[in-house]
Amino acid sequence: MSRRATWHLLVPGIIVGAITAVALVVPLLPLPDPIRMDIPARLLPPSVGHLLGQDEYGRDVLSRILWGARTSLVVAFVAAAAAAIVGTCLGLFGGYFRGLVELLTVRTAEAILCFPPLLLALLVVTLLGPGAGTLITVLAFLYAPGFARISFAETLMVRALDYVTAQEALGARPERIVIRTILPNVAPALLVQFSLTVASAIVLESGLSFLGLGVVPPAPSWGLMIRGARSTMEQAPWLLLWPCLALTGTVIALNMLCDRLRDVLDPRAQGRQSSWLARGAARILPSVAGSTQKPSLLRVEGLTIEITTPSGARFRPVRDIALTVAPGETLAMVGESGSGKTLTALALLGLLPPAARIIGGTALFTGRDGRVRDLNLLAEPELRQLRGDEIAMVFQDPGNSLNPVHRIYHQLAETIRAHRPANRSAVAVQAIGLLREVGLPDAERRAYAFPHELSGGQLQRVMIAMAIANGPRLLIADEPTTALDVTIQAQILDLLAALKVRSQGMGLIFVTHNLAVVAEIAQRVCVMYAGQIVEEGPVSEVFARPRHPYTAALIASVPEGGSGRLVAIPGTVPLPGALARGCCFAPRCPRSGPECTADLPVLERISSGRATRCIKWRELA
Amino acid sequence: MSAPLVRAEKLSRSFRLRQGLFAGKAEMMAVCDVDLAIDRGEAIGVVGESGCGKTTLGRMLLRLLAPTSGRVMFDGQNLDDLGRLDLRRLRRRMQMIFQDPFASLDPRRPVGRQIADGILIHNLADRSDIVDRVAELLKLVGLDPSHASRLPHEFSGGQRQRIAIARALATRPDFVVADEPVSSLDVSVQAQVLNLLADLRAEFGLALLFISHDLHVVRHICERVVVMYLGCIVEEGKAADVFRGPAHPYTRALIAATPSIRPQARRNKIVLSGELPSAIKRPSGCVFRTRCAYATTTCSETVPTLSRFGEGRTVACLRAAEIAANK
Repeated sequence: MSRRATWHLLVPGIIVGAITAVALVVPLLPLPDPIRMDIPARLLPPSVGHLLGQDEYGRDVLSRILWGARTSLVVAFVAAAAAAIVGTCLGLFGGYFRGLVELLTVRTAEAILCFPPLLLALLVVTLLGPGAGTLITVLAFLYAPGFARISFAETLMVRALDYVTAQEALGARPERIVIRTILPNVAPALLVQFSLTVASAIVLESGLSFLGLGVVPPAPSWGLMIRGARSTMEQAPWLLLWPCLALTGTVIALNMLCDRLRDVLDPRAQGRQSSWLARGAARILPSVAGSTQKPSLLRVEGLTIEITTPSGARFRPVRDIALTVAPGETLAMVGESGSGKTLTALALLGLLPPAARIIGGTALFTGRDGRVRDLNLLAEPELRQLRGDEIAMVFQDPGNSLNPVHRIYHQLAETIRAHRPANRSAVAVQAIGLLREVGLPDAERRAYAFPHELSGGQLQRVMIAMAIANGPRLLIADEPTTALDVTIQAQILDLLAALKVRSQGMGLIFVTHNLAVVAEIAQRVCVMYAGQIVEEGPVSEVFARPRHPYTAALIASVPEGGSGRLVAIPGTVPLPGALARGCCFAPRCPRSGPECTADLPVLERISSGRATRCIKWRELA
Repeated sequence: MSAPLVRAEKLSRSFRLRQGLFAGKAEMMAVCDVDLAIDRGEAIGVVGESGCGKTTLGRMLLRLLAPTSGRVMFDGQNLDDLGRLDLRRLRRRMQMIFQDPFASLDPRRPVGRQIADGILIHNLADRSDIVDRVAELLKLVGLDPSHASRLPHEFSGGQRQRIAIARALATRPDFVVADEPVSSLDVSVQAQVLNLLADLRAEFGLALLFISHDLHVVRHICERVVVMYLGCIVEEGKAADVFRGPAHPYTRALIAATPSIRPQARRNKIVLSGELPSAIKRPSGCVFRTRCAYATTTCSETVPTLSRFGEGRTVACLRAAEIAANK
């Protein structure tokens, strides 16, 4: 839980806590008796002795409000707790065992939801007679199905997760699994439901008391007070105001509390900043390198990205990246998770997540018109023009990158029309042509399919068709085959290679974690580690004679040599926020010495087209 | 030779799927008539692409999923005949390691307690000894015993997978199903976990069913390999033999399609056309024939059975001998 989230919880928490505390200590407060009548002083306005005035029987209103809070809160909390316990048990067991148990528990509980709640309450009160006890029973009965449904739905979700199956595989008894494993994981949703239920129970309690079916007079309750004040509304309107204010205030505070509670318990709800603003802020930064050099197709220098975490900490997951892509060249960026390869690719397109921003470096891109522009300095509208036109991207998971409610054809046509206004028939011809070009079988018919009707490999073909729709100069593919099976991966790699040959000088940046795929598709490779490029050069040379210990270890750890022991790299990838001094790889490196941790090594040119960030590269030769 | 520890006989599993709002339910065959025997201490790899039924097979062997037909014998006992209580007791001897270490550990309980679960459930140690047992297990998988009180999110993926391995080994099982245990890990960490698995297997004499889509990984860790396609076993044999001379056209294509860091070393590249057929409308005859370069009309009429093909090797292909001869 971040500090900010805790802070958000604090304000409504204090209000609700104060209301509860007051209700608890009411008997100890020096207040007049809430049921002692004083007929001569009836309907008197607020005075020193009676801060909120006196009601139609001359009773002290402040005292009645506070004692009423006690009644209302006790009824609401006890009813909500009873409902929560009963409902959760029903939902948990119904969700875990399914079948007959589900029918007996959850479905039965749902039947209660079919009755109008107020009518049901009226019926029960008429049968049992009014009073706080009856009220609690009725409310618990009404709210239990809500808890049953929520815990049922959550249980179904959690039950399918591996850690529950793991418990089954261990031979745990079902009760143990439900209580130890499932309950703690469905609890956050139930907690939120609980605070909502308390708020709604307070309202319903007041309503029933107002109708004379709840708390029995002369005991104080907000509903009864509103009922009493109604008859004297014209003489003493404030009498209506106080209980209404108390009721509304409590309910609002409780609702706020559960809103915040939901935010805090949901790890995804974190501070979000619009990406638009973030880019605007990055504009002011000076460019590092002079743009005198003629870039090939893309020339990135000194690219550094900073991420601000919700708690305010800052770290740099990408530092000082330099890379060039020549027309017609395939550059592979290879690295493990957290190496910064995907962030680098996203930064080039201006698609960084809101928390991240570029804080330095240039990315010079030569457009179709021969103009050289720095992608890092372009404003969002200009970038949008380039994106999907001159620079295109293919993402890892094609299933998540296509809109599930639109047909393939419409999404493809949209991409074409976004950059080239054309009439419908021309777009249609082009779209079908593209789908054929990427080898989608039966393209004319499949074009009108929805994404879920296609397989992963077919979807990736569609994604590639969308990417090449406008004949991009640069195609960035971020792990395009990771989610696919090997035989389909081979098809997609062949397709990308064929497309590159057919296009006139399209550059390709291929981001992957798979060294073997790099060997298949790329001419040059950048090996990334902890946000830096540690080695760069032609693929065949780098793989045959690695000049950085990380590259060497990575190649050695690939299980390709048949049986026998693998060479493993000890330790784990460092977190971007906690990097060691000097060389990032030093803590895991077999060759590291004191000189390695002294200073950060620079990316040293060791021969034409090859560079390494290791000061001991000669030892590796 | 003694009887195998685990034996699957004609094991099948189908799932009923609703096809659409108004369409009726369709029968999807996930696993179809699989026979498999695993000896004590043997590591057997199951290879195939997504949807080939390898995970379903693994779960049926552990009876986490009931087969539609066929049976599983564990150490001479038919899992079908066991009551709930006996089955729970037997679970001490068979364990599972899952693919995603971020999903297989309960995010809200300290890892030490999760490792201790199996020991407590089966009363394998006194309560006072449990802390020591957990510390011992953590050390065994290369973690610091003081980490027992931490929550799963404080560990990296590789460390979490080590914890999951410690949890599986806590009950000293005879048989472990590892379902893609390294596919969600980083390359540099994969090797650590594979080495650990190999060491522990040797140390405890575990029988291991290693499910993976990565042929190279299987070759490293397993003596024997089973290749599955669309719910059926298409080839089975010693890992080294299958790699050196794949006999089934699908195995050949799978090996050829797997990228290598030494592309020059690769033999002729075969790119399979088309996609995996739907498991609802399975092709007649040989299930692979729709993508097979060698398919003839006979292949669509006759269902090939697993038949002997050399020493300790079986292949389900009508033309296996012919293809091998022409190579």
